[in-house]
Amino acid sequence: MRATGRWLELLVGPFRASWRAGLGWTIAFVLLVVSTVAFWPAFKGSTALDQAFQTLPQGVLDAFGLQDFASPAGYLRGGLYEVIVPLMFAAAGVLFGNNAVSAEEDAGRLELLLAQPITRRSFLTGRSLAVLGWLLALAIVVLLSQLVSDSAFGLLIADDRIIDTVVLCALLGGLYAAIAIALAGIFARPGLILAVGLGLALVGYLVAALFPLSDALEPWSHVSPWDWALGGDPLVNATEPWRYAALVVPTIALVLVGIAAFDRRDIRSA
Amino acid sequence: MDQPPEPTAHSSEERPALRITRLVKDYGRVHAVRGIDLEVRHGEVFGFLGPNGAGKTTTIRCILDLLRPTSGVIEVLGLDPRRDGVNVRQLVAYVPGELRLPERQTGRQLVGAIARLRGGLDLTRTKDLADRLGLDLSRRLRDLSSGNRRKVALLLAFASDAEVMVLDEPTNGLDPLMQHEFLQLVREARNAGTTVFLSSHVLSEVQRAADRVAVLREGKIVASGTVDELRGRARQRVDVWFVDAAPAEELAALPGLENQVVEGRRFAAVLSGPIQPLLEVLARHPVATMLVEEPDLEEAFLDLYEAAS
Repeated sequence: MRATGRWLELLVGPFRASWRAGLGWTIAFVLLVVSTVAFWPAFKGSTALDQAFQTLPQGVLDAFGLQDFASPAGYLRGGLYEVIVPLMFAAAGVLFGNNAVSAEEDAGRLELLLAQPITRRSFLTGRSLAVLGWLLALAIVVLLSQLVSDSAFGLLIADDRIIDTVVLCALLGGLYAAIAIALAGIFARPGLILAVGLGLALVGYLVAALFPLSDALEPWSHVSPWDWALGGDPLVNATEPWRYAALVVPTIALVLVGIAAFDRRDIRSA
Repeated sequence: MDQPPEPTAHSSEERPALRITRLVKDYGRVHAVRGIDLEVRHGEVFGFLGPNGAGKTTTIRCILDLLRPTSGVIEVLGLDPRRDGVNVRQLVAYVPGELRLPERQTGRQLVGAIARLRGGLDLTRTKDLADRLGLDLSRRLRDLSSGNRRKVALLLAFASDAEVMVLDEPTNGLDPLMQHEFLQLVREARNAGTTVFLSSHVLSEVQRAADRVAVLREGKIVASGTVDELRGRARQRVDVWFVDAAPAEELAALPGLENQVVEGRRFAAVLSGPIQPLLEVLARHPVATMLVEEPDLEEAFLDLYEAAS
């Protein structure tokens, strides 16, 4: 009973404490998805835009996901799932991860918590699961918004392609959250962790999007988590299982690194 | 003056509540704690005195395993905070010196959260403590004054079933009435068998509450003992009015009398050391009136600091 109460507090406490941020991200995702899909009827079957895009180099089209813009998959790729949704998931992951651990420690608010009869491992495990729980909740929000607005605005695309794509974006966010948690386990520098986390998210996108433009750099585009997540064009093709593993395994490994490091160092006071 | 407190006689069953042996904590080149030895007995109030930066909070955070010592050994009720951290923290209640609470929660929500983490708090006791401290637990913590936030932390500590309380500057921000209430709570805890480790730079509260005291300076214990012993090491101001002229020559020959002033019938001096030789001189001469100021801990503290530096 005691252990259950402890775990409940370690998991539900930080999840509940982030509800304002969670609500903000929920509203942002819903508005983005619904407003984007609402314009689909205007672009549906339009060849003019595709013809206009054809004047751009193929690499630029690929980088921004603008190829085949008049098709449902092409429209969603260019409008949502090539850049903005995965970037928002990555940013949410870094922000949730940073706020749950490093920002709290830097503010001195872990002092009283970690003086209670809990281990640091259970504390950071609870915080990590709360962060991943929020990303899961946001994934469900995006998925439901997408499926409902697809139906409302006549955007015809297979549900499993949408599910695959949203899950991959959320897992990408989970990976960046894990980077923030791993860094928070090593040191309590929220500003630095935010900069590194968001910077790595941006670099990951640029590597996956721009390196293919150069023959010399193209092979290196595959080192980016963005390529692992979205390189298989999940809105069109079934996702190979390794892509899930490529995102999940490092996420777990990074959280474990964070937990191990957190267990070994001094806790910063206010 | 770098001396540890005298070890207490105890059998293996009667381990001290807290034992610190050669504790060292460095932050890079900064030596925050430089080899502390102390023992705190079961059921006593132990004052841990020193100015800001002396190493009190660092020592306390090592006890709670929030900091990892560079070297040395800490035992809380015979347990190692590093290896048995959960058990140690179950037995210890802590009030941090720098108090940062979750601002958006109410006092009641925080009490609930800590109760779940500790496996329960005495709710009747919680309500009683809130009444005694004049605390409204329904208010958000960010809306409370620093004194009221301190009361929330005190309530959490005193409502726990901890065997050892570690209180770091616990009266910061409390008004005098509440400081008095706090001292009363400490006495009640001691009477109930709880050990209280009270860190403070407020000498008067330690003087009123503590059984024994250790004085810390620059990471080292410079003095320790009972409050009375510590006072006994301090200098006392002596003022004597004789019936006739003061026996200046006899008094001048006495050891331990400094800053002597002889003005006709009056003799004034600062006495360090035993008072008996002075009393023997006074017994041979009629004395009209005499004033010996009892040294308070503050003077003892300052004397010890001067001696240490």
